[in-house]
Amino acid sequence: MSAGWNETKALVTDTFREAFARRVFWGFFGCCTALLLFLIFIMRVDVVQGALATITIFGQTSPARDVENLVEGTQTVIAMVLYFAGMALSVFASAGLVSAVFEPGRIELLLSKPVSRVHLLLGRYLGNVLVVAANIAWLVGGSWIIFGVKTGVWGVGFLLSAFFTVFIFAVLLSVLVLCGVLWDSAAIGIMAAFAMMVITPILAQKSTLERLLDSEWSRDVVRVLYYVLPKTSDISLIIRHLILGQAIDSWMPVWSTALFGVAVLGAGLWRFERRSF
Amino acid sequence: MSEFAIETEGLTKVFRRLRAVDEVSIRVPVGSTFGLLGPNGAGKTTFVKMLLSAAHPTAGRAMAFGRDTREPEARRPIGYLPENHRFPTYMTGRDMLDFYGALSGMNESARRNRITELLNLVGLDERAHNLRLGKYSKGMLQRVGLAQALMHKPKLLVLDEPSDGVDPVGRKHIRDILQELERQGVTIFLNSHLLAEVELFCREVAIIQRGKVALTGKVEDLTRGSGYRVEGVGVPEALATELRSNARTVSSNNGTLELLYATRDEANHAVDLMRRQGCAIEALARTRSTLEEVFMKTVDPGAGATQ
Repeated sequence: MSAGWNETKALVTDTFREAFARRVFWGFFGCCTALLLFLIFIMRVDVVQGALATITIFGQTSPARDVENLVEGTQTVIAMVLYFAGMALSVFASAGLVSAVFEPGRIELLLSKPVSRVHLLLGRYLGNVLVVAANIAWLVGGSWIIFGVKTGVWGVGFLLSAFFTVFIFAVLLSVLVLCGVLWDSAAIGIMAAFAMMVITPILAQKSTLERLLDSEWSRDVVRVLYYVLPKTSDISLIIRHLILGQAIDSWMPVWSTALFGVAVLGAGLWRFERRSF
Repeated sequence: MSEFAIETEGLTKVFRRLRAVDEVSIRVPVGSTFGLLGPNGAGKTTFVKMLLSAAHPTAGRAMAFGRDTREPEARRPIGYLPENHRFPTYMTGRDMLDFYGALSGMNESARRNRITELLNLVGLDERAHNLRLGKYSKGMLQRVGLAQALMHKPKLLVLDEPSDGVDPVGRKHIRDILQELERQGVTIFLNSHLLAEVELFCREVAIIQRGKVALTGKVEDLTRGSGYRVEGVGVPEALATELRSNARTVSSNNGTLELLYATRDEANHAVDLMRRQGCAIEALARTRSTLEEVFMKTVDPGAGATQ
């Protein structure tokens, strides 16, 4: 086993244990399971002479030939709800898990162990991402199987939406980590992450904003903010295109958001490395 | 391998204008028991934090077994029990030892074998092993904290107020464990306000005041020869009054008068007076200072003079 694996596993397990204890994990899991059960019961499939005849979802009945469109449409709704509401809930639930590590009386003992600070913080970060990923995988994977078994539609676009939801959460978690390291505050981290979730969809309308703004410098500010900050709104469009099987115009929102996440997490690690407790 | 388990060179920590730790250089030989003393706010905790790399020094460096403790590997032989610890309350005693054991580099089977052994050693019964730490008493938390520090069989044990909140029986138990570790050659660095405890257990001490080392040395040397104790039986009241005038302290118990004199001449004079009046001498011995007296003289010389 490679060096450091034991320690990483311990840090990840500890994050899960704390999430279980805080009922964060169970809250998530309960919501996801409720949604899966809801899907099982609201989706009725009528089979006539061994072939799919009609499908009813949310009380809307479609002939079998339109089933793919209906499934993809429903999956898009689930993916979008998960992407925005699920992400907000995840940020809210994870903020405490990050700042808990910096509590006096706990951090000193962690730092006295033969583990580098970078390893400690990344282990906790990874644990947090995996807590959220486990729930998203359960919801998306579960509903994908339900749709597949009931309708025979097995599009991978919906599965990819889970990856992008976890990805954007990981980026926002890096903001929580940086705020936690700088101010030991879960509240500031939540505010910063929520601010980004609110501001970035507005910035995504940059062509409209540029038309409305009358000075060049204010248009420059909008452009800089758009390119620097995570592009939650643009990535939600990518998810929609993936589920509907449409072509993706540009992957720039993904890689620039990844760059933002790496930079912010790097800043958090840098500060943590230098901080005295 | 260095002959010192702990070695600090000009260790300094400045918070804005406050020099919390001011050029502290301490050497703790391998296998010794060392006590760090000082009044509140003297800089002891900051010193320990720098020793374990939780706080970064403004100047100087701290080493364990010859390696700078800022390197993670240098901290591998160290077991630490912090003061005012906040162990995760969602863990059971077993979980906690497993977690910190893993962070100390122990593999799963080694941890499994060691956990039960240690929880029993520190006096936690079977029921407590699987109880959440949130339900532990202060004394139980200290015990599990000590077990955590011992998990990976450290060569250096840094204990910050190890018997805080522990009852007298528990303290004796902890002291017995530490004495056994000392016999095994483990270096023990104790930071405690309980001077009697430090005096009972440590061979060497350093007293820190206002961030600086005010006094350091072997406990035996520091407490050597401070006065003379005379005990007499059947001392008439008039003579007792006369003897009291020169004595530092006086006590009477079941007809035995105990007097403490600062000098040998004063003690001899008291013996002469008692013998002249036919009193029996029960005891005559040289006394030692207590560590508390040494501490008080060091941190508050004015208060020491009036005692």
